[in-house]
Amino acid sequence: MLRSTYKPSPGALPPLPPGWTEHKAPTGHTYYYNAATKESTYKRPGVTPTPTPPAAASPFGPPSVSPVPGAHPLAAAPMNPSMSYLQHQTVPSINLSDPHVANAFMAQYAQQNQPQSGGRGGFGAGGRGGNQQQQQRPRPQPTDKPKAKVAILGCEPWFLVYTKYGRRFAYNPVKNASYWRIPEKILPAVIELDKERIRRKAAGEPPLEEDPKYQSHEKEEEKKVEAKEAGSGQQGGQEETHDYDSSEYEEVEVTDDEGADHHDDDPEHPSKRQPTTTEDGNQGPIEFTEDDFAAQLAMMEGEGDDCMDVDDPEYDFAAQEENVDEEPLSDTDARLLFRDLLSDLRINPYSPFQKLIDEGDKTGVFSDPRYTVLTSMRARREVYDEWSREAIQALKEARAKEEKKDPRIPYLAFLQEHASPKLYWAEFKRKHRKEDVMKDSPAHHHRTFNDKEREKLYREHINRLKLPQSQLKSDLKKLLESVPLRQLNNRSSVASLPSQILTDIRYISLDAKTRDEFIEGYIQGLVPPPEAGNDAGGEEEDEVLRKAREERRKREKALEERERRVGEEKRRQEKKLAFERARLREEERELQRAMVVDKKGLQSQLAVEGKTEVPAPKEEGEKAE
Amino acid sequence: MPAIRPASKRKPPPEGFADIEEDLLIFANKMKDAQNTPTDNIPKHQAKWPIFQISHQRSRYIYELYYEKEAISKQLYEWLLKNGYADAMLIAKWKKNGYEKLCCLRCIQTKETNFNSTCICRVPKAELKEGQDVQCVSCGCRGCATGD
Repeated sequence: MLRSTYKPSPGALPPLPPGWTEHKAPTGHTYYYNAATKESTYKRPGVTPTPTPPAAASPFGPPSVSPVPGAHPLAAAPMNPSMSYLQHQTVPSINLSDPHVANAFMAQYAQQNQPQSGGRGGFGAGGRGGNQQQQQRPRPQPTDKPKAKVAILGCEPWFLVYTKYGRRFAYNPVKNASYWRIPEKILPAVIELDKERIRRKAAGEPPLEEDPKYQSHEKEEEKKVEAKEAGSGQQGGQEETHDYDSSEYEEVEVTDDEGADHHDDDPEHPSKRQPTTTEDGNQGPIEFTEDDFAAQLAMMEGEGDDCMDVDDPEYDFAAQEENVDEEPLSDTDARLLFRDLLSDLRINPYSPFQKLIDEGDKTGVFSDPRYTVLTSMRARREVYDEWSREAIQALKEARAKEEKKDPRIPYLAFLQEHASPKLYWAEFKRKHRKEDVMKDSPAHHHRTFNDKEREKLYREHINRLKLPQSQLKSDLKKLLESVPLRQLNNRSSVASLPSQILTDIRYISLDAKTRDEFIEGYIQGLVPPPEAGNDAGGEEEDEVLRKAREERRKREKALEERERRVGEEKRRQEKKLAFERARLREEERELQRAMVVDKKGLQSQLAVEGKTEVPAPKEEGEKAE
Repeated sequence: MPAIRPASKRKPPPEGFADIEEDLLIFANKMKDAQNTPTDNIPKHQAKWPIFQISHQRSRYIYELYYEKEAISKQLYEWLLKNGYADAMLIAKWKKNGYEKLCCLRCIQTKETNFNSTCICRVPKAELKEGQDVQCVSCGCRGCATGD
């Protein structure tokens, strides 16, 4: 039914001559360098200059360069038009009039065509023979963009939008949704539309875009100003006298009769901007990867804002920041980082999660970069619960340990003060029954420190008090010697003796004053503490601690790295944005210039149209003049 | 009427209460605020929503401390229930299959509804119409089915 009459365009870049290498400048465009002659140029060095495409100085990569799927969506090299033409050429000539065939076919080709599929982002000077200023600037990245729009009869809000590269998608302005794959419910109508299109072509009638019947909205003047008013939306595409009429249900097949001019038709219609398709990334073909979505959304976002106000300084970066989260952090690292945050800020593990969120500002949780390593509230909650459980257990253990040594020490101190050989245990107990140390406090109820133990200690103490001083002193010395150097050395003080001494009955036998003097003297005669890590058990503990610390440092480094990358990405975005904006302004200026119609306006238009047939570089040269 | 004992003679709460006292106080203050907020300008059925919600949160807090984090002792847990810090009946439901997230007891009280059915918030999200945003009449719950 349809013949592919597309003539091979001169788009294929010839291979570089020997000695030349291709590089990418920091600004994003490609240049060529000859190591031998130490010469570098933006112009692609070729054997014959004629076949070079109009954008010879453009950043178009060689055809072999294709966007890397893993790379950052916005850093990905944009598709180059000549490349997509190549693809169009390589499309086998199957009959794409059948939508099912076409869609299945598209599914295969979508992967290759993706990166530009949503991208009507740039002002798309892709095939445009730029003027002088444009050649000085880095060339804009070519992006697909809507070109003409046809109302689908019978399916009222729907439009069929054709893009510059001959692809098309269904667009619903009411729901503000667009789909590359034609939805089932409007498919029959679209088929109808295509039949009509073919019929018209055969009959030599003007194409659908020019028929007022297919323009459900009033035609507006092709004024940039109006195009920018986002709400006003629908521009008639009536002067779209181009050649994608017969391309079938998806964008692959380009069948045109005027072949050569289809990449150059923009200069005639410089104002083709339709503020449509703001969100179609989401509904794209399933083969799209996340990166592509992100890139598309970012582009849409940028476009949308540009439509509102070109020089709007408060450009919304939010959407683009989201693109930046390629995480060098693993999931476990992220969880551990969040736990570190909780521990560091001394969050009460007994508190509910809600409190953490409610008081996030006060406690500084929100301002900590570690808060964002986990991306969802659910994940945070999970980690919080886990952390709080463990923290509470650790707290309990620590408390239990503390209590273990506790009850004996105050009791012994009390004995030293109040015990006397004149009192029997029963009398002593009765006399001091109201003292705290004599009671089984509820805090210690689980300990085996009861009255029996107290009685035992009391009796022993009383018996020892009857012993001679020298005996007591030698006993105390023995006790002190039994304590390892690690715990007792010349740096310890009498006020903070290890619990091993404090809980021993020999410690309280001597009178407090003589005892303290004796211990003081003993401590001064000791050697300094051994270097940390001599003890076997301690060493093991140190090992564990050190490992934990190391892990933590690693995590934090990863976080820093991530922050750095995010910052870098942000800066890059900003730069790119500024550049895009400048370009847009440039475009506008150009538009305005074009809009100024002098007396021979039509003539010059015609003249330009005539020249589109000649190879592009020449035209470019003319324009430059 | 039981005698009101002075604070000094009152039996102290079980061990571990000090750990959660502060958070319980926050809940108590929230509850007081909710009780004192004027309800003139809101629909009548919504007047008690915040009360239900705070009560739910507090019960959930204690439930999690005892059953999931094992942070408080059995004595303390029982003391808390006895002293009205948590709703024992609601917690009893949470232990049952299919009621793990139940918002309030009124929402499963089928006898109180016209068609002898549970509240809309008990319906799993998957079975609702797509995009349907429910908020139940009795406590303002947005969905407490277990599978959600």
